[in-house]
Amino acid sequence: MLLPQHSYHKPESLSECLELLADLDSGRSATEERLAKVQVVAGGTDVIFNMRLGLFRPENVVSIRGLPELQLIEELNDGSIRIGAGCRLVDLADNDILVRRLPVLKQAIDAVASAHIRNIGTLGGNICLETRCWYTNNSADWRAGRDGCFKTDCEHCHVIPSSQICHAINNADTPLALIVLDASLTIQSAAGTREIRVADFYRRDGIAHMDLRPGEMLTHITIPPCDDRAEFLKFTPRRGMDFSLGAVAARCDGAGDQTSHVRLVVGSVSSAPIILDQPCRILEKRGLGDEAIETAVQSIRNEMGELTNLYARATYKKQLAKVLVRRVLVALREQG
Amino acid sequence: MAKHIMTLTVNGDAKEFAVDDTDTLLDVIRNQVGLTGTKRGCTTGSCGVCTINNDRGESILSCLSHALEWDGESITTIEGLEADGELDAIQAAFVEFGAVQCGFCTPGVIMSAKALLNKYPEPTEEQINEGMAGVLCRCTGHIKVKDAIRNDFRLRQELIKKALHDDA
Repeated sequence: MLLPQHSYHKPESLSECLELLADLDSGRSATEERLAKVQVVAGGTDVIFNMRLGLFRPENVVSIRGLPELQLIEELNDGSIRIGAGCRLVDLADNDILVRRLPVLKQAIDAVASAHIRNIGTLGGNICLETRCWYTNNSADWRAGRDGCFKTDCEHCHVIPSSQICHAINNADTPLALIVLDASLTIQSAAGTREIRVADFYRRDGIAHMDLRPGEMLTHITIPPCDDRAEFLKFTPRRGMDFSLGAVAARCDGAGDQTSHVRLVVGSVSSAPIILDQPCRILEKRGLGDEAIETAVQSIRNEMGELTNLYARATYKKQLAKVLVRRVLVALREQG
Repeated sequence: MAKHIMTLTVNGDAKEFAVDDTDTLLDVIRNQVGLTGTKRGCTTGSCGVCTINNDRGESILSCLSHALEWDGESITTIEGLEADGELDAIQAAFVEFGAVQCGFCTPGVIMSAKALLNKYPEPTEEQINEGMAGVLCRCTGHIKVKDAIRNDFRLRQELIKKALHDDA
């Protein structure tokens, strides 16, 4: 599979890069996701992959891998940790500050793909991971023998034929940890800078799944200090480099059974991470004893929303989500 | 389409190449440098037969990078492991332990093993599984590959001793 024709650009600074994005990405409305004139690339493990399949066909590719401004990992005065979006996953997994202060993020980073991928893939790239679908994630030749879908400019979904939107799945691991850590993203363009919580960044739409507008790029991730217990679990068909069938991140304060603040998020079963509410309220009232955990687990049934049979049957995903939530809550309690 | 000039140091030799925007590092290694040990497999980053090492001795999937991304950088391919006609210890281990069958994945497997051993000279089972998860072999079932990896440290010491002895 050859890469589609495009021009490659390698700016030497962030400001040069943002100017370039503004020049190249002009004239496209925020909803014209598939008509991208420009795609930023860092490690390339997702961008090149999608270009091989002909799903990304940008006219221009802008390399941000070497931008020095995106390489930092620093501790701010208030104890927050700020990470450049261009940091390699392998470097973050080995970073002293991160390992000591944010173990749940390290768990998520270690779970990403393989060592080969983590040696060049970046945190920003994982946060901006494209959604996936067993139908569409095949070669252009394979798809040429069939109808298109929403992602390939046909008004049709092969997973849910009656659907009006794309249901491709978001399989990214790190966003789950970042959400329970209450992290926020710095997004820059030539026009300015904005901050958005990771929890607010994703939309349950397989195509427009991120709040990222023309000319914008993710530059930094800021994580407030966290002393709470936190855990990340990933469930894959095989140990190794599979994308997860389901994954969960959880956080709670207190010790043992006692807790007054809980966060839970389930990933890989839908187009966006699912931030759970009901089970957290139950646990905050009743603590982390076995009965409370069981009640909380059963309550997620109503919070998952419509799940598709994509990659696993919806009934399986619902059951998997319950199992993962149960396991992660027990793990939190056992952290002490 | 316009060509760009880039430099790439491959196995210690710095060279200049004229490349297209759309060329990958794998394309340059095979077609321009002419080193066909590094293989083209899935081209999507799952199989690992395109694995080379960067200048830090880490495993890199050459099919997933633009060639121009590596302008000015230094890489090692399978052909670069031997020194003065002598196999590297990991290569010798693969031979001794029968870790090669059809041989198609072998360059990618050895470069992955080399990167693993650069980081963990005496890796645990878990480190071996983690480090090698990114490369697939359809013939060997990975058993003898892991045997070879486990014996790299010992073989490496033996080769060093032998070289010192020969020099003396």
